[in-house]
Amino acid sequence: MTDQTPHLTHSEARSAKPRFGFAQLTGFALLAVLAIGALGGPSLIGQDPAKQSLLSTFESPSRSHLLGTDNLGRDMAARLLSGAQLSLSLALLSVITAGLPGTLLGVIAAWRGGWTDRLIGAFSDAVLALPGLLLVLMLAAISPGSWWALYAGISLTLWVEYFRYTRQRARVVLSEPAVEASRLLGLSPWVLLRRHLIPEIGPGLLTLAAFGAATAVTSVAALGFVSVGLRPPTAEWGVMMTELLPYWREAPFLILQPVLCLIVTVLALHLSVGGARRP
Amino acid sequence: MTSALMKTVFAALAKRALQALIVAVVVGIVSFAMMQALPGDAAYRIAAGRYGYDMMDAAAADAVRLELGLDQPAILQLWIWLKALAQFDLGTSLVYGTPVIDEISTQLGYSLLLAGGAIVASLLIALPVGIAAGLNPNGIVDRVTFGLSVLFRAIPAFALGIVLVLIFAVQLGLFPVAGFHGPENLVLPSLTLGLGLAAVSNRVLRDSVVDAMRADWRLFSRTKGLSARLTLTRHVLRNAALPVVAYIGVQLAYLIEGVVIVETVFAWPGIGHALVHAIFGRDIAMVQGTALTLGLLYVALNLCVDLACRGIDPRGRLA
Amino acid sequence: MIYSIEVNALSVYAGKTRLMGPISFNLSNGGTLVIMGETGAGKSLIAQAILGTLPNTLHAKGQITVNGRRVDQMRQSARRRMWGTVIATLPQEPWRALDPLMRAFRQVSEAHHYVGGKKRSLANADTAKAFETLGLTGAEKQLPNTLSGGMAQRVAFAAATAGNAPILLADEPTKGLDAERHTKVVELLAKVPKEGGTLIAITHDVSVTRRLAGEVIVLRDGALVEQGKAIDVLANPTSSYTQSLIDADPKNWPQSEKQSDLAEKRDVVLTVENLAVARSGKRLFEGFDLTLRAGERVALVGPSGIGKTTLLDAMAGLIKPEAGTVTRAQSQSRHTVQKLYQDPPAAFPARIALKHVLKDVARLHKTDWSSVLTTLEKLGIHPSLLDRKPDEVSGGELQRISIARALTVGPKVLLADEPTSRLDPITQRDTLNMLETMAAAENFAVVLVTHDRQIANKWADRTIILT
Repeated sequence: MTDQTPHLTHSEARSAKPRFGFAQLTGFALLAVLAIGALGGPSLIGQDPAKQSLLSTFESPSRSHLLGTDNLGRDMAARLLSGAQLSLSLALLSVITAGLPGTLLGVIAAWRGGWTDRLIGAFSDAVLALPGLLLVLMLAAISPGSWWALYAGISLTLWVEYFRYTRQRARVVLSEPAVEASRLLGLSPWVLLRRHLIPEIGPGLLTLAAFGAATAVTSVAALGFVSVGLRPPTAEWGVMMTELLPYWREAPFLILQPVLCLIVTVLALHLSVGGARRP
Repeated sequence: MTSALMKTVFAALAKRALQALIVAVVVGIVSFAMMQALPGDAAYRIAAGRYGYDMMDAAAADAVRLELGLDQPAILQLWIWLKALAQFDLGTSLVYGTPVIDEISTQLGYSLLLAGGAIVASLLIALPVGIAAGLNPNGIVDRVTFGLSVLFRAIPAFALGIVLVLIFAVQLGLFPVAGFHGPENLVLPSLTLGLGLAAVSNRVLRDSVVDAMRADWRLFSRTKGLSARLTLTRHVLRNAALPVVAYIGVQLAYLIEGVVIVETVFAWPGIGHALVHAIFGRDIAMVQGTALTLGLLYVALNLCVDLACRGIDPRGRLA
Repeated sequence: MIYSIEVNALSVYAGKTRLMGPISFNLSNGGTLVIMGETGAGKSLIAQAILGTLPNTLHAKGQITVNGRRVDQMRQSARRRMWGTVIATLPQEPWRALDPLMRAFRQVSEAHHYVGGKKRSLANADTAKAFETLGLTGAEKQLPNTLSGGMAQRVAFAAATAGNAPILLADEPTKGLDAERHTKVVELLAKVPKEGGTLIAITHDVSVTRRLAGEVIVLRDGALVEQGKAIDVLANPTSSYTQSLIDADPKNWPQSEKQSDLAEKRDVVLTVENLAVARSGKRLFEGFDLTLRAGERVALVGPSGIGKTTLLDAMAGLIKPEAGTVTRAQSQSRHTVQKLYQDPPAAFPARIALKHVLKDVARLHKTDWSSVLTTLEKLGIHPSLLDRKPDEVSGGELQRISIARALTVGPKVLLADEPTSRLDPITQRDTLNMLETMAAAENFAVVLVTHDRQIANKWADRTIILT
């Protein structure tokens, strides 16, 4: 051994960036508020969202009706909370139902390659042949007004995103020299997953989940709005918009309430991943 | 035409032809399932649709049953259903009593008009904004448009439609609320969809401009002596356009979905509106016909994007 | 005497911090200046300051005179007009400097047409001539992604010099090229001053300096270390840093002791018989034989694309050979063949602290953590580095950590795939020295893949040349 490392420079430590930006923190805060609203539901304010009172329609916000009443005298706040419960639970469920198998199939396809890959890939292509909402629309039409049809349709269209993303990223990661080195060193597939794959695709999956949830919330409301999703008298944001639209002149603040709820929910989900684009 | 070019063009055609086939089969199967899920006797319903409730009786229903093979097992019926589809027999609308194909051919024009209007509107917004933001990354324009993009992306098309109608049609009275009576009707629905498209595509354009401006090949084009203008026209534009055109392919799904919803919001006499109407009225022949047309439109537009990408990028990759 | 380029007390600052300088030099027509130094020495800043392409966050001080005009006082637009016609630039990574969507011929002919001011037909004729002279015939219709590194470098050269600029700036022109192409590019550059032009070349490679001759400036961490005629500086350097740069040139390495009597004393660890390998269906070579003994150092030499990496993969058991056999000694587990990679950051999981990676391996192979730390210490790695992620340590450090990682397994064979080709010369020599020491101490065999015959000759017990 000749001279012991006189020239080998030691690299400088990098300055650490803050972990979450302002936009992201705002997103988290909004999501937390929405989550509390959805978990508590109408019982938070002790009002029944379905209770009509034709004597007290279009009331302005007051002590007893925090956000006023609608055309049938129903409490708006209770209906909005009920809508939040419905939309967010459906979004959460469909993200889980789509995300877990989608990710798993993506890893399997990338890992196994060959026919497994081609088979799952062909299935995903078939699902993607139609725009997602069109498929949800048609599936929902088989069983009109059913929560289950919506849930199944949305999950069926969402899983493909996870699958494609995971497959594509996993292919790249698995072909890196780093994975080859780990295999040569004898490390188990579990270690490969934990050290190589999960750190690499985890953040992207979270982003996908946020966007998927936003898509689910939007789809439910869109279908409700055009009267092919959930049906009145269900307190769903899109359905409420259809119901309240004719009364724009009398009570402009009523229609704006579900619209704002929807926009804030989608915005919160987008912000929670830092305003990034879909990966 | 070189053989490499032919090869990628054929690959694109084959890929999209397969997709079109899948669209037809999926739409056919789902429509069939919708038919099966309807309560009551399908033969009676179809007969009523054909001849009107007054003219309909058990004999007419039986004739329909025999003709459509409704007394056969479901799987055979599905086969008959798909065979009719393969022969471009879309059937007759239960609601209007006219052939579906006639309805669709008038509606398609309106939908294409709206889709075209939306794309034009999105380009009018995204091109100047994206380029301005990209030429000065982290500048004031970039930051403001980033914020606006995040906001507009979060507003679903129909919610944006409602807001625009309330502001521009109802409050200000600048544009008509709904229907189609003249070109002024095109403005609000196009803007609704265009804003949604531009909210994302202006950022894609911005990123690709930033990348192109930072690229080694741009600097080399300058240092080998080409002027800024020549570098822009001969190198930067082409390279920056590629990801944007490819991204239009991604946005087509949003566009088709948007057409369905926004047409309904604005009572636009197009295919999307007809589809929603048909689902609501359980008019299955119309559902099938309109969904199929929208699906095929999606495939056709995708093919156009494929070919455009191939035209820009001689490396022969498909988007 | 009128100097074609005259630089006086040039420094480059980031705010108030001086990154480079001050340096001064004069070059007349037919002159050559080589700027030498390692990564981060600020060599490229000189080129950027002369051209006027410094990033906005940096600024230059001092005088730069080109053909009698004070460039540093010119407006930016006026400086840009000199590009291509007065000063030509050969980019650092030619492959990335060519427009990926335009065919090679047009990228050169557009320079003849727009910069040289020639009519289209003449521009095309001159381009065709240049392609012929540079040995690029047949590549006219190719897109940059199908060009090899050497070809891309020559296309860039043709495009850069189309405007007939008297001054050529070449930034690391030999980066990433194999020995043969390396020589060709240097020959191309050497022609510039011979034909009356002025050449400024930036390199970390002493052999380039030696062949281009002329003046030399040696930079270290932005400061001028030494300046003078290349012949004098290379023969009698006054600074110890220059000396160590010269020593790091493989040609000047001390000859490692050739272990010649291994056959009697050491066990065979790996036998390769009649091996044939193929890549994407194309057979690369066949009939390859090799018997490796413990502690032996073998070099595999050959040009890019011949299949060296594929051969290593077959020896590591990562791919199935087309024909022939690879046999490990019977007593060995399958983990006793390990690999080192060309690009160290790519050989580690990107988002995990290095510590976890090493601990995973140590736990699996029941190696004591303290013995891993001892190995790291021998390799000159401070344990605190292990808290970082792979992209937060230098390439040289990371390559030594990957040696330590491989040693944790207790390997009998280490397959090293150009492990130092992306490192600076001094780091390269130190890393290979350590590998030699470790191989002797731990008694494992090393197969070193390299395209540099000098390295092979100096370092290995024996060299196998693949053709």
